[in-house]
Amino acid sequence: MLAEIGLVATLLAFFTSIYSIGASIYGERISRKEATVLSGRNAAILTFVLLLVAMMGLMGALLNQDYQVKYVWSVSSPDMPLFFRITALWGSQAGSLLFWSFLMSAFSAGATIINWRSHRRLMPYAIAYMMAVVAFFIGLTLFIENPFSRWWILPNNPVDSQVVDSAFIPSDSVAPGAVELASSANGLNPLLRHFGMAIHPPMLYLGFVGFVIPFAFAMGALASGDLSTNWIKASRRWALVAWLFLSLGLILGGRWAYDVLGWGGYWGWDPVENAAFLPWLMGTAFLHSVMIQEKRGMLKTWNMFLVIGSFSAVIFGTFATRSGLVESVHAFARSGIGTPMFLFWFSLTFISVGLILWRRNRGELKDDHRFTSILSRETLFVLNNFIFVALFIAVFWGSFGAPILSELLMKTNITLGKDYFMRVTPPLFAALYILMGIAPVSAWGVSSARRLGKAMIVPLVLTLLSLIPFYLTGVHTGGALVAYGIVLMAGWVAIFETYRAVVVRVQMQSENPLLALWSLLRRNPRRYGGYMIHLGITVIGIGVIGSTLFQMETQKTLAVGESLTIGGYSLRYDQLLKGQIAEDGRMMDIAEVTVIRDGQELAHLRPRRDFFPQTQGLNTMTISGAYSTVENDFYVLLVDWEPINQDAATFKVYINPLINLIWWGSFILILGTVFAMWPKELLPSRVRESALAGALVGKGA
Amino acid sequence: MMDESLPVNETEAQPTSKRGGFGIGSLMLLAGVVVAAVVFGLALSRQGQTQPTNGAAPDFEFSTFDGQTMKLSSLLGKVVVINFWASWCGPCRDEAPELQNAWASYQDRGDVVFLGIAYADNGPKSLAYIDEFKITYLNAPDLGTRISELYNIQGVPETFVIDTTGRVAQFIYAGVTQEKLQTIIDPLLKG
Amino acid sequence: MRASKGVRRWLWVGLLVAFMALAYVPPAVAQDGVPRTVTADDVNAIAQKLYCPVCENIPLDVCGTAACADWRDEIRQQLESGMTEQQIVDDFVRRFGDRVVGTPQDPALRALSLVTPYILIGVGLLLTLGVIWRLQHRKGNGAVPPSPDPADAGRSNSSYYEQLQKDLEGK
Repeated sequence: MLAEIGLVATLLAFFTSIYSIGASIYGERISRKEATVLSGRNAAILTFVLLLVAMMGLMGALLNQDYQVKYVWSVSSPDMPLFFRITALWGSQAGSLLFWSFLMSAFSAGATIINWRSHRRLMPYAIAYMMAVVAFFIGLTLFIENPFSRWWILPNNPVDSQVVDSAFIPSDSVAPGAVELASSANGLNPLLRHFGMAIHPPMLYLGFVGFVIPFAFAMGALASGDLSTNWIKASRRWALVAWLFLSLGLILGGRWAYDVLGWGGYWGWDPVENAAFLPWLMGTAFLHSVMIQEKRGMLKTWNMFLVIGSFSAVIFGTFATRSGLVESVHAFARSGIGTPMFLFWFSLTFISVGLILWRRNRGELKDDHRFTSILSRETLFVLNNFIFVALFIAVFWGSFGAPILSELLMKTNITLGKDYFMRVTPPLFAALYILMGIAPVSAWGVSSARRLGKAMIVPLVLTLLSLIPFYLTGVHTGGALVAYGIVLMAGWVAIFETYRAVVVRVQMQSENPLLALWSLLRRNPRRYGGYMIHLGITVIGIGVIGSTLFQMETQKTLAVGESLTIGGYSLRYDQLLKGQIAEDGRMMDIAEVTVIRDGQELAHLRPRRDFFPQTQGLNTMTISGAYSTVENDFYVLLVDWEPINQDAATFKVYINPLINLIWWGSFILILGTVFAMWPKELLPSRVRESALAGALVGKGA
Repeated sequence: MMDESLPVNETEAQPTSKRGGFGIGSLMLLAGVVVAAVVFGLALSRQGQTQPTNGAAPDFEFSTFDGQTMKLSSLLGKVVVINFWASWCGPCRDEAPELQNAWASYQDRGDVVFLGIAYADNGPKSLAYIDEFKITYLNAPDLGTRISELYNIQGVPETFVIDTTGRVAQFIYAGVTQEKLQTIIDPLLKG
Repeated sequence: MRASKGVRRWLWVGLLVAFMALAYVPPAVAQDGVPRTVTADDVNAIAQKLYCPVCENIPLDVCGTAACADWRDEIRQQLESGMTEQQIVDDFVRRFGDRVVGTPQDPALRALSLVTPYILIGVGLLLTLGVIWRLQHRKGNGAVPPSPDPADAGRSNSSYYEQLQKDLEGK
């Protein structure tokens, strides 16, 4: 029943989305009737409601354990806890496509409602573009990967073709017995049974689909000819929202890999990880260069390219990882959606690029100003954009370009791994951090080297001072110190710029410093939120350098009671708990170990390996045990390819210096982004101001 | 910055001109998008390729573990059974005796050849495997995994039967039995 | 003629340097010829530079399949027999192809993989510099008087404050 409701709702959503495209375009361009345009708008909102119903239908089928639904059968099983039943919604291709369509329609409905009044002229076109993308994804769920398809038995067929799956009830068919279905159900992929996996995909999807809004506004501007900064105003906050979720998705993905994949690392430069990183790079470039267009009316064409590039990268990444174009542990199983997704990616990119060039050649994307100084903020932003694009090229080439070209042209199968990325990307990241340290102190229009130098003295001194603790704790190589220095400089500049502004406000308006900081954040959220993001990126950078350059690892087989030592720690193997059974049916072999430093027992860890007897294919997992401090993570794996017993077990231990800074920096980054995108218009300013001032004064006093 | 080849000064000079058409730079950019799409489209279609189930069997050269080097095409006129296996693969172990028995039943005829290809395997382990199952037909390592790429195999074991004219007569995805092999090979020999 | 010879010599030197840069691999552990005990760490040090030949993008040192365990065992045997790291890597590439390494060992593929991104990025840099140059030197309605620089106003707090207020008002 639930499956039928879901199926009907999805079908209706397909029609409403297509109707919305037609009505918006027809009403705006041809009939010029407001009523038609409005019905197009309402159809876009209705699409969201229908997809919500469809998603609830699938969720209901999952919770209800309706194993006749093939999707439910393939991603869940009777022994699974409630939590994983919910997350199973995006556990496999068909469900995740429906979820994806739903999120995209939610973004579209949100943008339609919020921006309707303020950007009336752009909206019909933007709605048409959003709905075109949504309709495409609904089409994929309906016609190729239908999550509502059910198992049927055709008793009249030959024995080997009696069981079929179909969304509609085949004639002369009977439903399979519930007991057989439940007992044969697959269960969720073990790798996905982790808390991180519960939130990582939704965040990542939100980030991906969020880019549809800036894309649609840009395309709406190109199609309608309203090429003022309107589209930028409408889309930059949405771009920031998408960017926030994408950042969160990437970070959570890293955390998940660190906890579950048992590699001792968080980023493997795997093509699927890179596919999510590529739109992030483009999107970050856009968030920077959009400021030039707002402040100076420059780089209009370039911004269009960046917006379209971001969304094109989203679709390309989705296509590459869901079609089996590249092979990866994270990839979805191969399926028939490759060709339609490829054609969609191509037409979307080709039409968009064509439209930009057409408008440009008509002289409608002309810049208002010119550059005045080589050290102006504009120039530095253009360089920043260049580096982001260079990183994009390097990552794209490594994950897709080289493997695909070498296979086509040289008939050899190559993979570019960590080795390649660690050669090509570090100089580019270093350049980004350097720019991050310079650009905030430069000015729009014109700057001189002397002014810049003067503004950077204090941060430079702070940077040198803060390198001392690194030196004292054993960082003696020049390269590492330079790397830390470059990253620290970027952070100090962000802090110092904020500090200066706070000091001035304190002096001129005699506010208390906390209130001054608050009013700065509130009145220019993008700038000071941006500095906070820079600070977060700095902290992440320090964590990345530490955990990459100074990681230590060792592997050893220990008898009970024996120890191994690494980096000043020792690990003692205490005992083994073999064959523990968890509530979801997994069998766990748990080793109990003690971490010791300077004779003191710091922690008891329980690294384990899980075995999923009911699962086919990949059915083992290695769960680490970790002891975290500011200084480092002591990360233990019970190596899963060596035999273990009461007498001896093999452990792999990593010391990951400063790795926790990555998660803390991420937190700062998220906070900064929330500030930067927080709408000013939510409350009447006077109400807000007095309320906040009251709250802060209360706190400060 | 790809749009830089556009004549900026020209548009600058005539801000109101609505000239149609695209400049050289724009056309190159559009062509670039098309070329990229062609490359990815080709890659996608290649990726979709599966094991050959009919038509000419792709030719390859192999060097057996005991040092003979030959080409598949030199075996034209004989029925060739190519079996991809690996010592670390469980199902391969199940079918190894079946293959050996099947081979033993044809060995004296001279017009049937069995060829084992060790896919991504470790040399000493392969030899131990051949020893363990007392395999007497030809066996060669798949150096550089070229042969398995040629046949687009997805895993091991996979078996191809090639007829006397050098065409793929049958592709067997899962494990084989002596009986199954005989029902495939015998008609090919009569013809 | 002498000049062109000189040019050619430099070209060769340049090519040689470029090739050496591409072919650079960290010096392998010296071979002492004595059978030695090989630790798991020695094996992992090499295995982490290789990818599992039958899985997808999983480094060999952390791959949990039986096949990977065999390969690590093989590395151990090769180390025990005195092979250097480079020899072991070369042997893996010979047997399983260039996809088992993070960057191909085959010179042509290696050059293609490592040089192409730099060429693309170099072209991008030229285009970017071109844009900056053009945007600076073209005529147009652009020359709006530059805004006073808040960074420059450091000594006088009031002008810095004015600029800050202006920024806050979103001007």
